Amino acid sequence: MKHLKPLNAKADLLDAARTEAERGEVVAMQTVVGCSATTDPGWEVDAFGGIGGLCQPMEADLYGCADPCWWPAQVPDIMNTYPDWDKDAPSAAEDWRKLGAVFPKARE
Amino acid sequence: MRYGRYRGCPRPRAARLTALAAAALLPFGITPAGQAEANPGRDYMAVASRPNQVHLVDLEARTVVRSCELPGRYGNGTLQMSPDRRTAFVLSNQFENIYGVDLDSCKITFSAIQSAGNVRVKTSAAFAVSRDGRELYVHQNPVRLLPDRYEVLEPRLVVYRIADGRDAQPVRSFPAPRQVIIAQTGADGTLFLAGPDIYAMDVLTGAFEVRLPSRSATDPRYGPRDVLSIWPIGEQSGEFIRMYTAQRFTDSARTPDKAELMWGYERIDLATGAAEARDFGPFEVVLFSGMTRPGKRNEFFAALTQLKKFDVGQQRELASVDLDHSYYCVNFSSDGSTVYLAGTFNQIAIYDADTLERRGTIELPGGDMALATAQVFRRP
Repeated sequence: MKHLKPLNAKADLLDAARTEAERGEVVAMQTVVGCSATTDPGWEVDAFGGIGGLCQPMEADLYGCADPCWWPAQVPDIMNTYPDWDKDAPSAAEDWRKLGAVFPKARE
Repeated sequence: MRYGRYRGCPRPRAARLTALAAAALLPFGITPAGQAEANPGRDYMAVASRPNQVHLVDLEARTVVRSCELPGRYGNGTLQMSPDRRTAFVLSNQFENIYGVDLDSCKITFSAIQSAGNVRVKTSAAFAVSRDGRELYVHQNPVRLLPDRYEVLEPRLVVYRIADGRDAQPVRSFPAPRQVIIAQTGADGTLFLAGPDIYAMDVLTGAFEVRLPSRSATDPRYGPRDVLSIWPIGEQSGEFIRMYTAQRFTDSARTPDKAELMWGYERIDLATGAAEARDFGPFEVVLFSGMTRPGKRNEFFAALTQLKKFDVGQQRELASVDLDHSYYCVNFSSDGSTVYLAGTFNQIAIYDADTLERRGTIELPGGDMALATAQVFRRP
């Protein structure tokens, strides 16, 4: 690691965590597998512990994962419970601000 | 299906393509003057995208000829062409309805509304058109929605008569394997279903057999295969194909640390029905779909965030380029000279198959293709 320099804020955080003896937390993040166990897809790593194998940018993969319920935890379930979550947002890259949080519906 | 463990994306980046936007000016569902029909002898692509349209793309002119509206919600956009290359069958309404769309008129000539009553029916991406164009084969996953629970019912393969038109009802139904994701018909009429294994089904009797073992493969030199198959591509190369990754052990003790990680493909020759599973290169990056280059049996192309070209015989990578963003679905021109990348956003990337140089971009009107299957065909 001594020859690696952080290039962005996220890398700074990782570097700081390492120097503050919080390496275990970083390692724990690396063990997250799939899309269902993390809130920010940007934290994930690929099968080799890097990010080269991830879809880029994440919006390119957003509907590809949401349509088949691949992200059941942090993307609303548009197959079952929130079918209109993507309404008026045909382009994930252009319309991502319209893709909001959802909340359990009140029983009528 | 043993979907891979490689999902998720890093943060957005600003890279966007310059549009070839003439097509974006076309009103949806309206036939432009002078383009009444697709011409014979040219390559076209049919592909669906959000909000819910299917597009006819002239690949030689690199323009969108026509965009046809589909009813209901989008998804997942799996598409199969009729043998006469006039009708696109599209899986729509969140994996439930299949529409047949005449690509020359945008008229919906066929529909299968699969859910009824409290039984909801989803199809992953597994449907295919018979070789004579008369029947549509659909793998169904029914679930009964009860007030207090979902009751998962047995999967089945149903047959629709395409001439029945809109709101067609199944004319035959057979028990089918579970977890079937994609399908294709062979030259002799056999229906191939890719699920835990690849099955061959007699569409008249419903009898099926394992044609290519995948999950049930027993070669001790390999670990279990991991398969991602959502795109029924390969027809341009006369194949029904999907990729796998697996550990290839280098010692009899099957030591994981000493194993090689390999990409391979499972392939059915659509002309002969012959099955073949073989490694084609080292597993170094994640790839989502791939197929054999038409006319170059030894060259295999695959893509996700890179486009890669492999020498199958030597099991090595021949060339690789980084893409401007991830693309899911690979396809080729009829002559194999050009690679088209589709899926994810609304751009179709064009690459030279010899050099992997970028040749252009076609931007679809509307939004994301996401999991859509891009089919390339030549009008007879």
